[in-house]
Amino acid sequence: MSIEKRMLARELKLIAARPGDILKPMWFLMLVISMVPLALAPDSGLLAEIGSAMIWVATLLALLLNTEHLFQSDFSDGVLEQWLFLDRPLAWLVGLKLIAHWLFHVLPLILITPIAGLMLSVPTEVLLALLITLFVATPALTCFSGLGAALTLGSTRSGILGVLVMMPLFVPVVILAAGVLIRATDGSDTLPLLALLGAFSVVAATLVPIAVSAAIRLNIGGSN
Amino acid sequence: MGWRWFHQWGSPRWFYERAGRWQLVCGWLALILLVVGSLWGLGFAPVDYQQGNSYRIIYLHVPVAFLAQAMYAAMAVCAVVLFVWKMKLADVAMQSIAVMGFAFTALSLISGAVWGKPTWGTYWVWDARLTSMLILAFLYLGVIGLRAAFQDPDQAGKACGILVLVGVVNLPIIKYSVEWWNTLHQPASLKLTEKPAMPASMWVPLLVNILGYYIAAAYLVLGSMRAIVLQRERRATWVKELVSRA
Repeated sequence: MSIEKRMLARELKLIAARPGDILKPMWFLMLVISMVPLALAPDSGLLAEIGSAMIWVATLLALLLNTEHLFQSDFSDGVLEQWLFLDRPLAWLVGLKLIAHWLFHVLPLILITPIAGLMLSVPTEVLLALLITLFVATPALTCFSGLGAALTLGSTRSGILGVLVMMPLFVPVVILAAGVLIRATDGSDTLPLLALLGAFSVVAATLVPIAVSAAIRLNIGGSN
Repeated sequence: MGWRWFHQWGSPRWFYERAGRWQLVCGWLALILLVVGSLWGLGFAPVDYQQGNSYRIIYLHVPVAFLAQAMYAAMAVCAVVLFVWKMKLADVAMQSIAVMGFAFTALSLISGAVWGKPTWGTYWVWDARLTSMLILAFLYLGVIGLRAAFQDPDQAGKACGILVLVGVVNLPIIKYSVEWWNTLHQPASLKLTEKPAMPASMWVPLLVNILGYYIAAAYLVLGSMRAIVLQRERRATWVKELVSRA
């Protein structure tokens, strides 16, 4: 079996051992969504109007919660050090880890957003746009929050610092996604903005793993 | 031999001594320029026909806002120098510029708010420039916070360098996306319509002040760099001698 296949198999085994890791962010997302009508008037048209934006922000937060400790267990049990000795570039392995994380941890989160949308009475065509923007934007978000997680690996007192450091970089993604949602509500063409969002994701997915691998190297190098 | 001018930057002691002299020059130059520019701008430049006297805050606000953005670029240059030549002084510069850059960004936000109240009738609007300045402040805070999380200064420097480089690539994207977002939402027309072209009697003192603030920033950064060098080299003999003499 190639290293790539074995890595994916290992991720699956880890998930099977601790399924709670997938459920907790979904649980968090649904809780945040339930708080929104409680904080607003439940039957107002306001809910349908801001529902999609609320779901977007809630998913973003759930994703951050999920990715904060992306490399922590691999770092403390020495897996990351072993990666350095493989005959693969570190950035490639990091990319694989990020893809696996997106597949097994972020995708479930996206898949439950339609339920949240129904609960907040978001119109169907907006809901569809919401799903598409999440599909297109989350790879970039996963990469950036992975970088935050990697940068703060070696520090024991960083807390949620990785999240705080990376969140300003989410601004373009959030703005473009909001643009798509607004256009979907109007019924105008969303494709140009989706293309830009996709471009951002592709560039992030290509370049950020390199930065992540540098961050992992410095944290491993510093500890000895 | 020809590289001596370059290699001497690797010596903290050489830097500490030279920077003290540069600081003196910068300090006096900045003081003169700022006194001349501020007195001229606040006291003698003509009153604006639209905004009256409240426009005079530009003699503080504009230089500070310029610096807030320029310092992030300077920090990115330091990050490149750190990674390419492994020069520790670049990391020291990065550390002091991050703090000063945040201070200038905060100052430009505050002075903007103070000006906004009489002119726009509100301290804060979600205008493109204000929003991107706010994001810039958060980016600076991130760099400062990340450094504080590490005990080893080398490790902290590298981590901050990565963050700054990723940030500097994203900064133009953030800026343009925020501008686009602003046009998308068509904000209430709080903006001043058609800025009048400034007469020379207004912009010459502004130019003097911009220069003054840049040199003052150099003075401040050099001062804080010297302090950081002393702190990091506290076990070196020359620092011990310096301290015992003082």
